[in-house]
Amino acid sequence: MSTASTEKTLAYTADFHDEAPLVTGDLTFHDITEIVSVHTEKKTPLAWYGAFSLALSGLMIMIIMIAYLFWNGTGVWGLNNPVGWGYAIVNFVFWVGIGHAGTLISAILFLFRQQWRTGINRSAEAMTIFAVICALVFPGIHVGRIWAAYWMLPIPNQMDMWPQFKSPLLWDVFAVSTYFTVSLVFWYVGMIPDIATLRDRATSKIRRRVMGVLSMGWTGANRHWRNYEKAYLLLAALATPLVLSVHSVVSFDFAVSIVPGWHTTIFPPYFVAGAIFSGFAMVVTLAIVARHVYAVKNIVTIDHLEKMNIIILLTGSIVGFAYITEFFIAWYSGVQYEQYAFTNRMFGPYAWAYWTMMSCNLFFPQFFWIKKLRRSIPFMFVISILVNVGMWFERFVIVVSSLHRDYLPSSWDYYTPTIVDILTFVGTFGLFFTLYLLFLRFLPQVAMSEVKGVMPQADPHFYDHAGDGHVAEHSVEVSPENEQPN
Amino acid sequence: MSQTVKRSNPLMWLIDPLQPTASQADPVYRFKWSQMAWMLPLAIGIAGLVISAVGWATDSRQFFFSYLIGWSFCLSLALGGYFFVIIQHLTKARWSVVIRRIPEALIWSFPLLAILGIPIVLGMHDLYHWTHLELIDPTSEFYDPVIAGKASYLNTPFFFARMAFYFLVWTWISFKLYTLSLRQDVDPDPSIPKQQRKISAIGLPLGAVTTAFGGMDLLMTLDPHWFSTIFGVYFFAGSFMSIMAVIALVAMILQRNGMLRGVITTEHYQDLGKFLFGFMVFWAYIAFSQYMLIWYANLPEETIFYRHRLEHGWEVFSAILLIFHFIIPFFILVGRWAKRILPVLAFMCVWMLVVHWFDIFWIVAPVLHGDHAMMSLYDVSAWLGVFGVFIGAFMYRLSRHALVPQRDPRLHKSLSFTNT
Repeated sequence: MSTASTEKTLAYTADFHDEAPLVTGDLTFHDITEIVSVHTEKKTPLAWYGAFSLALSGLMIMIIMIAYLFWNGTGVWGLNNPVGWGYAIVNFVFWVGIGHAGTLISAILFLFRQQWRTGINRSAEAMTIFAVICALVFPGIHVGRIWAAYWMLPIPNQMDMWPQFKSPLLWDVFAVSTYFTVSLVFWYVGMIPDIATLRDRATSKIRRRVMGVLSMGWTGANRHWRNYEKAYLLLAALATPLVLSVHSVVSFDFAVSIVPGWHTTIFPPYFVAGAIFSGFAMVVTLAIVARHVYAVKNIVTIDHLEKMNIIILLTGSIVGFAYITEFFIAWYSGVQYEQYAFTNRMFGPYAWAYWTMMSCNLFFPQFFWIKKLRRSIPFMFVISILVNVGMWFERFVIVVSSLHRDYLPSSWDYYTPTIVDILTFVGTFGLFFTLYLLFLRFLPQVAMSEVKGVMPQADPHFYDHAGDGHVAEHSVEVSPENEQPN
Repeated sequence: MSQTVKRSNPLMWLIDPLQPTASQADPVYRFKWSQMAWMLPLAIGIAGLVISAVGWATDSRQFFFSYLIGWSFCLSLALGGYFFVIIQHLTKARWSVVIRRIPEALIWSFPLLAILGIPIVLGMHDLYHWTHLELIDPTSEFYDPVIAGKASYLNTPFFFARMAFYFLVWTWISFKLYTLSLRQDVDPDPSIPKQQRKISAIGLPLGAVTTAFGGMDLLMTLDPHWFSTIFGVYFFAGSFMSIMAVIALVAMILQRNGMLRGVITTEHYQDLGKFLFGFMVFWAYIAFSQYMLIWYANLPEETIFYRHRLEHGWEVFSAILLIFHFIIPFFILVGRWAKRILPVLAFMCVWMLVVHWFDIFWIVAPVLHGDHAMMSLYDVSAWLGVFGVFIGAFMYRLSRHALVPQRDPRLHKSLSFTNT
């Protein structure tokens, strides 16, 4: 019985293929190196200059708007009383949220042994870092008295002006800067073997020097790899709680207050889910463009995109469920202010923003239940952008709709952003894409060494076709190409 | 249903919907243990229930609260198993195949739990303040406008309707997950993995909504004035943490008795330990979020929950919860050694299950004894009662089938799994 059933099981298992290869197109290790490295080595294409000048123009707009703000004060923004928090906070939370996918992919998915992460982790981490930079612009500029911005930092000064440690805004400074530091270190450590590859391929002296310094003397020795992998695991373990803590602290900015619509206990996990949701949408948007322009379709395959779309579906549904829970508890609480805040969101002057948020975050991602749609590039491109529109509006709804009608009806007002508000926000996209384009131009956008590690060739028995522990004759023939380092 | 797997008769269906398939199990995966395996817990359970029955007769209010604690504890374990199995299918997990039969057998507890829930139905009036009709009668002197405002949700018929819906969902999804896996044992139909994933995809959102609202309905409405949007997540966090402890403990008990040796290895235990640690920290994160936000805003309608648990002796219980549910286990379970030295892991699994029970006790008991902290004998006896019957039925189910999903296509990957 047992032998028969074992045989049956084996036959059944042998037929079982439901996992697509992570790298398609029958590539060798050297092909991976070529595909990725060539974009940092070739002559800069004209199209890159075009995109870069566009991004730089955006950055210029941001700088001009900030200069204008500094010169005139925050009166140039659309803030009023009671809406004292407007675009600046909305944009801050929006960008921090986007900056969540990278570290989730590189740390949490690493701990969960999700090997598909290797195709997208490098560019997602870069996106994270640049998004956090965009976010950090806003707390810095929104303080009004810009010359006092350094008071946010706990540095002793002769005036004994210490930061308010009871304020979640200060916790934000710590949470976001810790997250930024760890993400940066994680990104850089992960990149060292690949920078060494670029150094070894370098043809000019300067390039070899620069890449040599950046790769910190990496030789690919056994001991280097051992230390590297240990460091990577430790950093992943350190970064994992940070993924949760940053957006939890951001949610505290609202939730510790007693403003109806802000103060609710679900905020921390719900903000984290929303951040992952928007971050993955941004990764999908960027990956669709990058895999097309940079011809990495064999590394960032349709299966990678599908998996990210499933995460978008999952986190979008979590966020949607949180909306419904909030709404239900607002009714259940019996607190008339809470009840009013939520009815006002749905039917009040900002109903248009509320329903934009609901449709983009809860409704549209549900299309990803259909396999055909979550594997369709044009469709997911549209959804990924809609998700980020929806997530921006979520923050807008939370910030503005809760503030504009507070406890004192005599001071109710309607908030409208000014052109300065809008252009500053547009300008941050300039900052983001400036940095992102520089990354695409100068650094390996795919983690080459990690991708190679999940290819079938990385299996020590790959060339052992006969299963006798010896490499088969034909596969030892090393073509000159394969002799190249890495 | 395939010819090789037969349905049980209707009464037996409550315990195990399928007739035994153990004879078709690979000898390595067979249950080789005496009937004591399930009779002992069942006997302890019945003894516990008998002792508790005395409580019902003498101090029915105390009994109902004690029973709710024990019953909710078992429900949370079953729900933890429900999510565990679903997540393994959806992520096409390889590592967990050898241990998956344990939670699969556990989740067929929902019909039994529904029957074991009868005392709660009978004790509704004692347990749930909102069932008192004078509270919503405007002419009564006990009229409470806040509770009256919630009457369209907090009323007995709707409560029962919701419970029926939750249990129908849980039973239906569990039936599919359990029987598909058993069918695969004897009939390797290649479409089964896909069917398992499909039912899991349906079960995940349904389970999330029903668990969150189920947790709120059963435990949060004990204090009908109080509300917290995170409460469902809190209930889930404790449940999902505990299932890791249950799986690891059951696996160790089976191995001690000569089963599955070399099938479940230290590597699998380490992974279970990681999840145990991870979701213990997740629980702490959720508990902290709830506490900190309520403490900081300091609104009387919200702080009342913690006020009850921070005075009249309950502050000691709250401190115990914090120290034993988070601080000490954090420092023990963070290390690799604690997950790989099995006696240590076993000790920590028992520990985490006890504190999980204590967590539910800490939610429920202060509602009854607001003016002086106390733990009743019936808290323990009702817990042992429900838990014993729950475990007895589970072990019985386990003994009737292969201990491992023996024809799961990812089984060989799970058998050779190592942490790198």
